[in-house]
Parts: sequence; C-alpha cells; structure tokens
Amino acid sequence: MKTYFLLSLLALLALLALPASAARMAMPADAPKSYEAECASCHMAYPPGLLSQKNWQNIMSGLDKHFGTDASLDAKTQTEITQWLMKNAATREKYAAFAPENRITKTAWFMRKHDEIRAEVWKRAGVKSPANCAACHTDAVKGIFNEDNIRIPAK
Amino acid sequence: MQKKIVLVLALLSLIGVSVAASPQDLLKGYESQSGKASQARGEQLFNAKHGKEWSCASCHETPPNHDTKHIVTGKLIKSLSPNSNPDRFTDQAKVEKWFKRNCNDVLGRECVAQEKADVLSWLLTVK
Repeated sequence: MKTYFLLSLLALLALLALPASAARMAMPADAPKSYEAECASCHMAYPPGLLSQKNWQNIMSGLDKHFGTDASLDAKTQTEITQWLMKNAATREKYAAFAPENRITKTAWFMRKHDEIRAEVWKRAGVKSPANCAACHTDAVKGIFNEDNIRIPAK
Repeated sequence: MQKKIVLVLALLSLIGVSVAASPQDLLKGYESQSGKASQARGEQLFNAKHGKEWSCASCHETPPNHDTKHIVTGKLIKSLSPNSNPDRFTDQAKVEKWFKRNCNDVLGRECVAQEKADVLSWLLTVK
C-alpha cells in the first residue's frame, strides 16, 4: 500500500514537473493558417508561449520594422494573428517576464539554457542565428526542445 | 481589353481576394502601369545593393533558380524564378506583399511598377 502511494506520488510529481520544463512547448492546435504563412516564411513559427503578452503586442505593432526587416501585414491578418498570440502568450512567470528587445533569445531562461554555447557556434553556417532553433533542436518545429533531440552542426 | 483585365485584377486585389494569375499576366499588369520592361535593368536592380545592407540576391542568391536560405535566420526560401518554381508569381496579393516588404528592406522604399516589371521580366529569363 505504501509502495503504491509512493509510486503515485512520484507519478504525480513527474506530471507536475513536465510543464515546468521548456523541453516541450507545443504549438496550440488552433493556430491560424496565417501564422505559418506569414510568420514562418522567414523564421520558425515560434510557439506563442515563449513570450509575454506585452512582448507580442510590441512585435505585432511594429511589423514594418521587424528586427531589421519589413514584415508588414494587411490589417485583417494582423488582427487575426495578434489576437491569437495574445490568447496563447506565456502565462507562467518564468516565460511571462518581459523579454528585452522583444527577443526570445534575450530572456533570462533562454540565456541560462544556452550559456555553454560558445560565440563561434552561433556563427556557424549551419546555425546562422540564435533565432534558428531548428538548427540544433532537430524537432523544434514540433515544439520539442529537450536535450535528447539536439544535434549541433559541426560547420 | 488588356486594360480591363488589369483593372479587374487590381480591384480584386484591393478587396483582398487572392487572384490566381500567371507571371506573364502580372508582368503585363506592371508594364501597363509604367513602360516596357527591361531585363537588363531588372537584373541590375536584383543583384546590386541600393545603399542598404542587403540586395535581393542576399537571400535569393543569383541566379535565383534554386532553394536558398534566409541570410539572417537560415530559414529555407523556395526557388524564386518561375522557371524553377511554378508557384512563383501566381498570386497577385502575395507578389505585392513581398515586393513591398523586400523593396523596403533592399531600397528603403517601395518599388514602382516599372521596377517590378523589370525584375519580373528578368526572372522570367532565369532558367
């Protein structure tokens, strides 16, 4: 009886621990088609849960100057994507903290998770930019970021 | 007749309807708003920098007849020339959206119809 209790306690703890890790940050099932079409033509479709509401709001209101490029949208699409991002933005404190420059890569959790990556690695042709999650996280597009699914390009 | 088609296409694109077109239709449309296209001018515009960090070729490479990668993010960009990718220049709203974005990035302003005609006419010669 006691073993059962311990086992279920362990299982419960494991379940609780799961969402606490960024190892899995899946795309919500109700993503509008425009999110993939508009945002993911230049970069991976980032899961909205990786940034706060305020960050997404900033990003969506400045698309004509989007990290050095013009990513402007028609009004209808802009509203559709903004509303969906706001609805699905980060809620847990760790991810909901305001990201400097509205960059996922400038959040405290991102920098801590990647602090062992040397500057030279980020510059490799196969990586190009910290924005290119899928360069190393082979299943990033599926929202899987755990350490078993990492392959860092040699060049 | 040609003018009428162009007008209808323009109106449809204004109300946001996705219009299936051929690259040749689009080229005629741009020429009708400006003048005859020049492939040489188009090639020059595509490959040169215009006072900013990037040229069109920074991401699309040259000749743009193969899949490439975004110069910053590394994201795959499908081949640009219609001969190498039949999906290109078949949706007017999409074409207009990308001309607007990319001309702003490369020239710091939107392109005029003549420039779009020139670039498209050159792209149509890229095998």
